[in-house]
Amino acid sequence: MTARDFTERDIHMALDGELPAEEREAYELWLEANPDMKARSQRFASDLAALQKSVGGVLTEPVPERFERLLSGETPQRRIVSPRWRMAAAAAIFVAGGLGGYLLGVTGWGSIDAAASQLADGAIAAHTLYAAEKLHVVEVGADQKDHLVGWLSKRVGVKLIAPDLTAQGFELVGGRLLPAESKAAAQFMYQDHTGNRVSLYIISDATTKETGFRLLEEGGTRSLYWLDDGYGCAVTGTLPQEALMTIANSAYRQLLDGMKG
Amino acid sequence: MDQRRAAILAEIPRLRRYARALLRNRDSADDLVQDCLERALGKLDGWRTGDNPRRWLFTIMHHLFVDQMRREKRRGEAAMLPIEASEAMAVPAHQAESVASHEILDALQAISPDRRAALLMVAVEGFSYAEAANVLGVPAGTLMSRIARGREELRTILEDGSRRRAIRVIEK
Repeated sequence: MTARDFTERDIHMALDGELPAEEREAYELWLEANPDMKARSQRFASDLAALQKSVGGVLTEPVPERFERLLSGETPQRRIVSPRWRMAAAAAIFVAGGLGGYLLGVTGWGSIDAAASQLADGAIAAHTLYAAEKLHVVEVGADQKDHLVGWLSKRVGVKLIAPDLTAQGFELVGGRLLPAESKAAAQFMYQDHTGNRVSLYIISDATTKETGFRLLEEGGTRSLYWLDDGYGCAVTGTLPQEALMTIANSAYRQLLDGMKG
Repeated sequence: MDQRRAAILAEIPRLRRYARALLRNRDSADDLVQDCLERALGKLDGWRTGDNPRRWLFTIMHHLFVDQMRREKRRGEAAMLPIEASEAMAVPAHQAESVASHEILDALQAISPDRRAALLMVAVEGFSYAEAANVLGVPAGTLMSRIARGREELRTILEDGSRRRAIRVIEK
């Protein structure tokens, strides 16, 4: 027999470094004498290792700029929708139609950095120009979707997908390549059964900044845009803000999955 | 940046790791971290230089997490949310995860928030039982039983999961 009786509780203590050093040896002997306890300890140990490994990479991720700004005391006044609204917006719309708009509005206006605002300006200009087009709304039609996506990915330099927006009532019409400053932008055009058009405008972004959703409105056209991990996207149309937000939510997730997948 | 702010900045990676494991979704986790930082900055006077900010920050974050869990419970949880929102919450973390990481993080979401927090504080964040009990505001005995139950629950879920996966493969 050992100096004291060990129990399953000691397995946890041993794993968590809470077993006194002088009891360690007796504990190991107890494990050897109790194969079922030893097996249990090993399973817990491997779960522990998996758990540590699963989130271990977070420590080496760069600290998001918004946190650095927060701590350095710069709290720029921007019309930013915190990323939580990517999730909450849908819920908010569900609760009350107008609330999504309220959430967008409360964070205030102000200056926004150049990369992001160029994105929105470019997107609105391109949308205004091509959404009104009857015959040549796109360069490559949705019937050649694979070709379109491959071509635009290559030219823009981002692994793209054309998000599926059928759940929001929009079908892909096709897309085109556009100039954006000194680089290329991809535009995917969508249309609902009434002929309403929404476009996704995507550029590569070397700054790898992350932003929440932002909104730019210009003459009845709204663009919800964001920068995320090497690319920027703007969802643009004349739809109500809530509908645009729902589309942006969906597009955001699909683009991200497409890039990682 | 003053010394206190710099010390808080240095804790951000750990706060993010803890939040990520607690909430799974990267955006929700970073929102929790942001709330924590804002709260901390608002209470800077309550914290003396020289003190390790880690325990202080984790305590703040824990309170915010508890509030958040309570709110979600009050909202009636997933059943009340539209498909869109519940889908968004189920979005996996952005970076490529191994299958094992994916499974364990999913399983972690299935255990009670109390047990999840206790287990993570000790197993991942490396706090001692005494420190973790202090941060979570529970007696050490409670902490230990949460850790033990949490580990068992996690194991059960993982075992069920691998059984289910085996069945799915056969069905295909």
